[in-house]
Amino acid sequence: MKLGAAGRIEKPLLWLVITALSAAIFVADTVTDLEIAFAVLYVAVVLISVRTARPGAVMLVGAVCAVLTVVSYLLTRFGDPESGLANCGLSLLAIGATTYMALRIEAANIAARQAQAELAHMSRVMLVGELGTSIAHEVSQPLAAIAANGSAAIRWLGASPPNDGEARLALERIVEAAGRAGDVVGRVRNLAARTPSSQGPVDMAELVQETLALAQGEIRSSQIALRTELADDVPMVAGDRVQLQQVILNLVVNAIDAIKAGRADERDLLVSLSTDGEKITLSVRDSGVGLAPGSSDKVFDAFYSTKPGGMGVGLAISRSIVEAHGGAVYAAPNYPNGAVFGFTLPIREAKD
Amino acid sequence: MQEPEATIYVVDDDPLVRDGLDSLLRSVGYEVRAFASVDAFARHTRPQAPSCLVLDVRMPGPSGLDFQARLTAAGDTIPIIFLTGHGDVPMSVRAMKVGAVEFLLKPFREQDLLDAVAAGLARDRAARADAAFGAGLQERFATLSQRERDVMALVVTGLLNKQVAAELGVSEITVKVNRAQAMRKMKAATLPDLIRMADRLGLAANR
Repeated sequence: MKLGAAGRIEKPLLWLVITALSAAIFVADTVTDLEIAFAVLYVAVVLISVRTARPGAVMLVGAVCAVLTVVSYLLTRFGDPESGLANCGLSLLAIGATTYMALRIEAANIAARQAQAELAHMSRVMLVGELGTSIAHEVSQPLAAIAANGSAAIRWLGASPPNDGEARLALERIVEAAGRAGDVVGRVRNLAARTPSSQGPVDMAELVQETLALAQGEIRSSQIALRTELADDVPMVAGDRVQLQQVILNLVVNAIDAIKAGRADERDLLVSLSTDGEKITLSVRDSGVGLAPGSSDKVFDAFYSTKPGGMGVGLAISRSIVEAHGGAVYAAPNYPNGAVFGFTLPIREAKD
Repeated sequence: MQEPEATIYVVDDDPLVRDGLDSLLRSVGYEVRAFASVDAFARHTRPQAPSCLVLDVRMPGPSGLDFQARLTAAGDTIPIIFLTGHGDVPMSVRAMKVGAVEFLLKPFREQDLLDAVAAGLARDRAARADAAFGAGLQERFATLSQRERDVMALVVTGLLNKQVAAELGVSEITVKVNRAQAMRKMKAATLPDLIRMADRLGLAANR
């Protein structure tokens, strides 16, 4: 399961390899006898070009290889021209067939990536749906503030004499509340939007805060005591912000569900973020029902779910996202009860 | 506009909503005290004045409904107007059953809130007046002599003076005198008044 995150970083290197290999084959093909069908090796170049993940690039590489083959044939001085022509034809055939197959492979890859992205998006929308009630509460709260302060402002202005100071304070609160409602809507929109995968530097601490803000209503209404331990020396990681947010939110929502299904007197949720210099670790620790014995390996499998109505998609997608970012997921029992879910991500130089 | 001593208590952990409610209710002329938590409100010593409580249901810590139960258990009858962010029907039914004045869904309309607050205050005033009336009755009843109490207890059951006299083994004159004394001391203008008072004092049950 790849979400198209890896691979792109090595692109300049890939083109270098393709160019160098083509040049080497071209030189070898030109200086050797016409009988030696060195040009068949262009097939390897075409296959390597599949890694660019762009059909146009594959087509271009195929065409260039074909042209180089013909040019070699024309330049080569040694050997029998007839068998050289036959060799050239065979090479062109091989290059053509390989390019065609490479394009087919690439098309299948694209379809797979699209299906993957669709699934990830669907699972994000499901997450938003799961948080729907509490998100509605998060919006209705600032709306209530706007309504109350608005009515108050009108009354203060209508008093004789008008109380401008009080009216102003109420209006300022309206502006603040409107901003807050906008933030909630923006957060939901970001998560539910169908965004193409993007690579950028991601501030994990900020992302954790924003994600917890999304789940805030659910945490409150479930009467869960939330603690965060976010180390301030965590560097940026390279990755897709929306996808990583999806993973964090998934772990948090699962933890909330586990707590709600667990003992009523212990309702603790700890989200921590730390780094050891090589990788960052995010963990979500809950005091909920915990893992069934021996299930720590299975929880990330697709269609494995212990939740009533759960589809077993969330954690599987989380794992594929984390692995596409070069990281790893883990699950373990928490002491004295509950579970801890988390993931690590390698620290890489964030591009652009 | 309103009588100044009436106080509205607002408990909401959201500062924007809390300050908004505070401002709105003050703009209408109420005395308002706002708190961020039910615990802060519970620690506050309230003066003896008509009041009502505007309470957010969903807050961290003890929920609004738990707090209502706590107040009821402690004999605190302050009328409560609940505010909620979502239409939880079973919750609102539970709250109304145990005496909430109103269950308002956020965002609420200004007039609904003001109406609810007015109704809450009216209920508290009535409860206070009723309690004061009851306390006054007890006080006046305490000034009655034992004979006057006996006569009153029998008269309010509908017995004639003659029958009361026979019941107590005293003369009809004595009954008449004690009956007049009881009516005067209880400040009852008519027999039906006295019957109502006896009812309130639970005298009928004693017999």
